[in-house]
Amino acid sequence: MSRGLGRSTANRAMRRSPRDLSERALASWLLLPAFALLGLVAVYPVLDLMVTSLYELHLAYGPKGAFVGLANYERLLEDARFANALRVTLLITLVTVPGAALLGLLLALLANLPYTVKWPVRLGLLLPWAMPLVFAGLIFRWFFESDYGVVNDVLRKLGLAPLFWLSDPRLAFWAISASIIWKTSSFVALVLLAGLQSIPKEYYEAAQVDGANAWQVFYRITLPLLAPSLFVALVFRTITALQTFDIPYAMTGGGPGNATETLAMYIRTQTVENLNFGYGSATAVALFVLCMATTALYLRFLQREEGE
Amino acid sequence: MVRLLVGVLVALLLASGALAQQVKLRVFIGGQQRPDVMRKILDVYEQRNPGVKVEIEVGGATSDQQQQYLTTVLTSRDPSLDIILIDIIRPAQYKAAGWSEPLDRYLPLGARDSLLRQYLPAYVRANIVDGTLVALPAFADAQFLFYRKDLLDKYGFKPPTTWDEAIGQAQTILQGERNPNLNGIGFMGNISEGTVCSFLLPIWAAGGDVTDERGRLVLTEDMARRSLQFWLDLMDRHRVSPPNMAEKAQDTIRREMQQGRWIFGTLFAYAWAHFQNDPDSQVKGKIGVAVMPRFEGGRSASCLGGWQWTISNFSRNKAQAYRLLRYLSSPEVAKVLALEASNLPAFPELYRDPDVLRANPWFADALPVVLNARARPVHPRYPEIADVMRRGLNAVLARTKTPEQAAREIVQGLRTIYGQ
Repeated sequence: MSRGLGRSTANRAMRRSPRDLSERALASWLLLPAFALLGLVAVYPVLDLMVTSLYELHLAYGPKGAFVGLANYERLLEDARFANALRVTLLITLVTVPGAALLGLLLALLANLPYTVKWPVRLGLLLPWAMPLVFAGLIFRWFFESDYGVVNDVLRKLGLAPLFWLSDPRLAFWAISASIIWKTSSFVALVLLAGLQSIPKEYYEAAQVDGANAWQVFYRITLPLLAPSLFVALVFRTITALQTFDIPYAMTGGGPGNATETLAMYIRTQTVENLNFGYGSATAVALFVLCMATTALYLRFLQREEGE
Repeated sequence: MVRLLVGVLVALLLASGALAQQVKLRVFIGGQQRPDVMRKILDVYEQRNPGVKVEIEVGGATSDQQQQYLTTVLTSRDPSLDIILIDIIRPAQYKAAGWSEPLDRYLPLGARDSLLRQYLPAYVRANIVDGTLVALPAFADAQFLFYRKDLLDKYGFKPPTTWDEAIGQAQTILQGERNPNLNGIGFMGNISEGTVCSFLLPIWAAGGDVTDERGRLVLTEDMARRSLQFWLDLMDRHRVSPPNMAEKAQDTIRREMQQGRWIFGTLFAYAWAHFQNDPDSQVKGKIGVAVMPRFEGGRSASCLGGWQWTISNFSRNKAQAYRLLRYLSSPEVAKVLALEASNLPAFPELYRDPDVLRANPWFADALPVVLNARARPVHPRYPEIADVMRRGLNAVLARTKTPEQAAREIVQGLRTIYGQ
C-alpha cells in the first residue's frame, strides 16, 4: 500500500502521465453520482433552510414570504421558550451521553465475557437499539404513568407514596433521561463490543503472565485500546442527543408546560403546528450550527490526540 | 390487417372509456371518528354512484395529530387526498394557507344561502371565512357534563346546575363510597386541544371572552387567572379531582369513566356511544348527560366543537369530490352518524327525529346547548393561540407555575399573536 502510494507521488513529481489523468477523471466521474445524491438530499435542503430562515414566511399570512434579513435570528435571542428548549437539550445531552457511555461500556464488557452461548446476551443488547424511538417513548410513558404505571406500582408495594413522574418537571426530566440512556446505551455497547473484539488476546495473556490484577488489565490495556471506539460512539451519541425528539415527545409532549421541551420539539411546533416556517427555519439553523460546532470540537480533540 | 388495427383501436378506446368512468376518491378522517360507521356511509354512496370508488384514510386519534399529518401532505401539495374532515377551529387556517377549494365555485349565491339556512347558524359562521365558504358541516359537537346517574340517585342528588353543587355532590359521594379508584370531576388538563376548552369554560361562564365581535383581544390577566385558579382548586382545595390532572386527555377521562372511575366528566358528545355500546363499558345505562354547570350568578357555557368536510385544493377530482361532499354533509348522513356514533347533527330538525331520540334520549335537551355553545377564537394563527392556552393551564395543573404567572404569560403570548 505505502509502496504503491510512494510510486504514484514520485510519478506525479516528474510528470503527469495520461493514464494517471484519465484515472483521476474516471474517479471524479465515479464519485459524481454520490456527490449529486448528497447534494440533493443534504446540501440543497440545508441551503434552502438557511434561505427560508431569512424570510418572514408564516402560512397563516399566505404562502408567499417576505425577505426580512436576520430578523428571525434577532427574535431568537429574545425568545424565552427557545432559551428554555436550548437549556433542556443541553441538559439532556450532558446527562444522557455520559450515562449511555458508562452503561454501554458495562454492557459491552459483559457481552465480551467468554460465554458458551453468546446469542441471548447479544440479543438483549440489540433489542433496545432495534426498537423505534417513539415506541420506546410510549413504553416508558406507560411505565411512568402515575395511576397504572409499573414504577408507581412498585413504589406502592414498598409502602411508598406514588410519584407524578410525568407532571413534575424534575421527575419528568429524570424519567426521560433514564429512558434515553436505556434506549441508546446499546448503540454505544455495540460500537464498543466491536472495539473490544479487535484488541489482540496476546496483550491479556502477557498481562496475566506479569501478574496484573483485573483493574490494572482494564485500566492499562482495555481502556486505552478502546479509546478510538469510545470516541466514535461519543460523537454519534452527542449528535443524536442534541437532536432528541421522539422520547420526550411521546412521554410528556414537552410538558408540564414547556419544562421538557427540546430544541427539535420546538422546531416542530413552530413549523408543523404553527406553520411559521421562517422562524422555525431559523430555529433549525441554530440546532444545525450547534451540531456542527460540537462535531468540530470533537474533531479538533481527535486531531490533537493524533498529533501527540 | 386493417381490421385488426381497427379492432385494437376500438378495444383501446373502450378500455380508456371504462377507465375514465372509474373515479377514485380518497377521504381523510380521524381515528376517533368511527371509520367503521364512515365505511358504511361510503358503501351506500358507491352503490348509488357506479364507477366511483371511495377510500378512507384514517389519521391519528386527536385533532392535533391529524393536523400534523395533514400539514405535511398539504404543504407539499400532495394530490392524494380529495376530501378532508377538519375540526371547527381550522377553517380560518385552511383558507389562509390556501389548502381548501372554495365551495362558492359550485354554488351560486342564491343556492348557497338556501343551503346554508338548513344548518345550525354556528356552523355557517365557522365555515365562512372572509366571505368564502371553506367547508360544510359533518356533525355538531359541544361539551356536556356526563354524570353517574346511579351514584347521584343513591345519594338523592339531582344533576348539578352550578359548579358549587357539582363540587359538593362529588365530595359527598367520594366520602360515602370510600372507593380509592373513584374520582370526582374529570376535565382535560394535558397538552392537547381539549385543554383549550377547559381554559375557556370558566371565562365564558363568567361572561368574558378572548376577543370582542371585531376580533380584538379583550382577555384580561384577571379573567385568565380566575380560570386557572378554578381548575387548580378542584384538585388542591376541593379535592374532587386527583392531583395528576396535568396528565389527563379527553379520551383518558372517557376510558376511565367507562371503567367506573369518575362521577363527573366534562366531555364531548362522542363519549355517549362508547358508554352505552362498548363491550367493555361498565357504566351501560348508568350515565346521565346534563348541561355544563354555571357559576353562582353566571351562565352555563359550553365549548363549541364539530367537524367539517373540505375539498383539498390539490385534489385532481374536485367536481366528483364536491358531489361526494354534498352527500356527506346531507341530513341523511347526519342521521346515520347520530344513530351509530352519537354525533350531534348540524341540522336542527334531527334533534326531534324519533329514531335519533330513541338512540340518544339526551339529544332532546342538547339543541339549546349547541345553540348557545361558544366558539374558540377564530384566527389563522389559531394553533399558536391554542398552544399558549393549553401549556399555561397544563403548567398550573402540574404546579410548575402559579395561576398569576401563567395568566401573565398567556395574555402576553396572546398580545404578540394578535399584534396588540
